[in-house]
Amino acid sequence: MKNPKVKKFVNLVLEPVAFGLLALLFIIPSITVINLEPITKVLKDLDVLGVSNKSEISINIIGGTHQIFNREKIEAVDGVYTYTTVLTRREADRYSKPILEIINNTQEEAILEIYGNTALPTGSDITMIINDQVYRLQGSNGEITSQKIAFVPNQKYVIFLAVESFSNVQFEEDFELKIKKIEY
Amino acid sequence: MSKLLKRALKNSLMPAILMIAGKSLGIFVISAVYGFSLEIGNDINGLFSTQIYFQEREITYFVNSMSDLLMLIVLAVPTVYLITKTIIFQSTMDNPKTIVKVAKFNILNWITKDDTTFLKIFIWCAFLWLASAIIIKNSFEGDTYTWVAIVGSIVSFFSAFGTLKAFEVETNKVYPSNNKYY
Repeated sequence: MKNPKVKKFVNLVLEPVAFGLLALLFIIPSITVINLEPITKVLKDLDVLGVSNKSEISINIIGGTHQIFNREKIEAVDGVYTYTTVLTRREADRYSKPILEIINNTQEEAILEIYGNTALPTGSDITMIINDQVYRLQGSNGEITSQKIAFVPNQKYVIFLAVESFSNVQFEEDFELKIKKIEY
Repeated sequence: MSKLLKRALKNSLMPAILMIAGKSLGIFVISAVYGFSLEIGNDINGLFSTQIYFQEREITYFVNSMSDLLMLIVLAVPTVYLITKTIIFQSTMDNPKTIVKVAKFNILNWITKDDTTFLKIFIWCAFLWLASAIIIKNSFEGDTYTWVAIVGSIVSFFSAFGTLKAFEVETNKVYPSNNKYY
């Protein structure tokens, strides 16, 4: 490129592109590393009915990103499954997100006891939705309701968590949902 | 395109590659060494759809912490090397005793060529800060051991000091200290 005008023009075009490329060289590795973080996904063997019965209920976290429901996790201790999430500060409104997928692989109906609450009552009404049916978990005054729900064999259920506040919430809340099978 | 931008692009490639390689290799190598079974799925969780899964929370916690540590080491070692090299190089010019010490430790090749620029150190340090920030974020979210985040913070803090020192060395080349000459 001997013509200085052409050289100047090419530089003018290339420079912003190079700046963008430089920024990308920092952004892409950061996003990749964040995305590479492993997560705990499949939790099986909720139902240990006996040697001859290999059936089970599986609970999978749905994951994904959401503006309000952050840092979702699920873990099991002694047959009780605990789903946790952080509800970020938000404006007065109703927010919902699919959080868990429950599959009853057994040959019989399974009844699960599900209850959940925030660490501190904050005036939010927290419900869960399963097959368009709304179940209250925590009322706006902080009262917790335990729900016993029957899960039909060989069917997949998606649990939605919904949070409704009538005033702005200015701080984060830790929410915990517990799931355990009721044995008869 | 300016020379500075060209150099910045050239110098950023290696730490960017090492950052990703350190994290991903960390996950796979630690899983292989400890015999953890991992699963690669395609759920949308973030910008990319590929996701690595473990079946137990403790394993996820351990693997994530160790891979974070590996990523930190992979970025910290070259950064510390570049900073040390620059400081030693400058010191040998100011103090002949350093040459003797350098010869004693058999690292004379570190001071034979001044090929380390402040830009290079700054870029490596920036990647180290990025990695540390991610590790600290993970630690706050309960995904990484706290001690890994503490190590990351300490390494970043001292590398920032080293980078400042390198900046001082670089500016002294352009504007030498007055008390040296007058």
